[in-house]
Amino acid sequence: MNLNLLLPEISLCVLAVVLIVIDLLLPQGRKSILGYIALVGLAFPAVFTLSLAGVQQVSFSGALVVDQVSVFFKLLFLIAAALVILSSFDYTRRLSILQGEYYALVLFATSGMMLMASTRELISIYIALEFTSITLYVLAASIRNDAKSSEAGLKYLLLGALSSGALLYGMALTFGLTGSTVLNDIASALAQRGISAAAVLGLVFIAAGFGFKIATVPFHMWAPDVYEGAPTPITAFLSVASKAAGFALVLRVFLTAFEPAEKTWLPLFMVLAAVTMTLGNFVAIRQTNIKRMLAYSSIAHAGYVLTGLAAATAGATSGMLVYLLAYTLTNLGAFIAIIAFSGQVGSDQIEDYNGLSRRAPVVSLGLAICLLSLAGVPPMAGFISKVYLFAAVFDAAAKNSGLYYLVVIALLNSAVSIFYYLRVVKAMYFGPAATEESLHTAFSLRVALSAAVAGVLIVGIYPTPVMQAASVAAQVLFH
Amino acid sequence: MLTAYGYIAIFLVIAIGFGIVPLIISLRERQTRPDPVKLSTYECGVETIGPTWVQFRVGFYLYALVFVIFDVETVFLYPWAVAYGKLGLYALVEMFVFVLLLAVGLAYAWRKRALVWK
Repeated sequence: MNLNLLLPEISLCVLAVVLIVIDLLLPQGRKSILGYIALVGLAFPAVFTLSLAGVQQVSFSGALVVDQVSVFFKLLFLIAAALVILSSFDYTRRLSILQGEYYALVLFATSGMMLMASTRELISIYIALEFTSITLYVLAASIRNDAKSSEAGLKYLLLGALSSGALLYGMALTFGLTGSTVLNDIASALAQRGISAAAVLGLVFIAAGFGFKIATVPFHMWAPDVYEGAPTPITAFLSVASKAAGFALVLRVFLTAFEPAEKTWLPLFMVLAAVTMTLGNFVAIRQTNIKRMLAYSSIAHAGYVLTGLAAATAGATSGMLVYLLAYTLTNLGAFIAIIAFSGQVGSDQIEDYNGLSRRAPVVSLGLAICLLSLAGVPPMAGFISKVYLFAAVFDAAAKNSGLYYLVVIALLNSAVSIFYYLRVVKAMYFGPAATEESLHTAFSLRVALSAAVAGVLIVGIYPTPVMQAASVAAQVLFH
Repeated sequence: MLTAYGYIAIFLVIAIGFGIVPLIISLRERQTRPDPVKLSTYECGVETIGPTWVQFRVGFYLYALVFVIFDVETVFLYPWAVAYGKLGLYALVEMFVFVLLLAVGLAYAWRKRALVWK
């Protein structure tokens, strides 16, 4: 047992508990300091995570692993948590959300996600997943006197419980057939005994459970409603960090435990990827609420990332990591801009974005950059990560010709997606403004948006360090 | 294989019959002489006042939650206490951390006035 390996998670939990205690001692009206404490406190887990970079160690009877993949994901979660907390300062005050609970739960959710990226054993995977999910259910419902927020929390809870059931069923089948819950032992048992029909059933159920977390078709139904009703910073958190955590699990479980069953799940993920991105993009076209539009867009992006799993090579996996990082920065930027606008305009309808570029030029520019990056326009991060991922999938097509079609479908889908992203940009820049009154954006939101946009541009223009880190990490999963 | 399932089938038939046959016998043999007192709802000896489908105060849920927390605490403390001699210092520290976390939970419930019956 080596507690040093758990320091990032432990420090996050301690920070969250300290935050709750401080919240109890603070008088009403001085609670906004809690957000700053949470943000500054994130430095501890960040330092501990960075100190684990390069470590390759398994601990806690094989349940926990620290390697390049987990460190990559943990840093991604910390970046997402920092931006979410920063963009919540103004939001929580405006909607009178209980701040102590809110920030503590965000930190707990982050530590749950970090555990998800580090587990290599079915039971701890399940516990980490539930830890994350339960905190997120509460966060989705945290606008207490808003019916839509309660609806979002309740829907997320009910559907989430259903998907955990499916996941547990799959895990039980897998454990029953292999006699182990440790992913590597499952792999060797499967390789030895062959892939029975029951093993395929277990694999499919586990894929369904994770599919819910990353919102792939046909397990995506919860996403639009929950994203629309949840507090916008939490929507951002769900759409990037929770999704990335799901992918961390998918990568580890399918590339290690189910590696011997590769022939079974490659076509499965190929079909899932194609259906997910197509449905996400085509339904997004019809949305009038920008949060719902981004919900469907996030479903489509899950489809793009899944193409990497359908290829299942080290190159494609590294493409997935780069894509997830670029998507995290970009989507957070877009949601931060939406928080800024909805605070001033009081609406999330796309038609209310008409003429905003004249009322809030800087925030509009930030949103435009993020939307163009989501669409995959150079020189933003969305472009380079799409190129990197799809090129890697294309390389893998030599051994699996179905991937040619998948790449073509993905490229066509990217073209479709440009339409609905640009529609918002068009509304902002060429739509008629209702008034010419200029909008004031809170300082914290401007900092958060600048940080996200800077990240999008830096990764877009100079992606080499990220790509190197990702490809080193991906090698770990393909020893 | 088949004989093993055969045992289960026989067992199932007997088990189902064991429940149903007495019911059928009593249905055929018993006398039915209902009167109002016999048919009235009997609930812990006291007649209900008003409709029974009322909504409960949300306060009960808070009490139930706090109760569950401390219930679980006891569930954890018992095995720890039994195996204390073998576990050593690490488990002692661990249990203190656990109790401290619960204490924070209690302080939270207290401070948020979840323990006050309004």
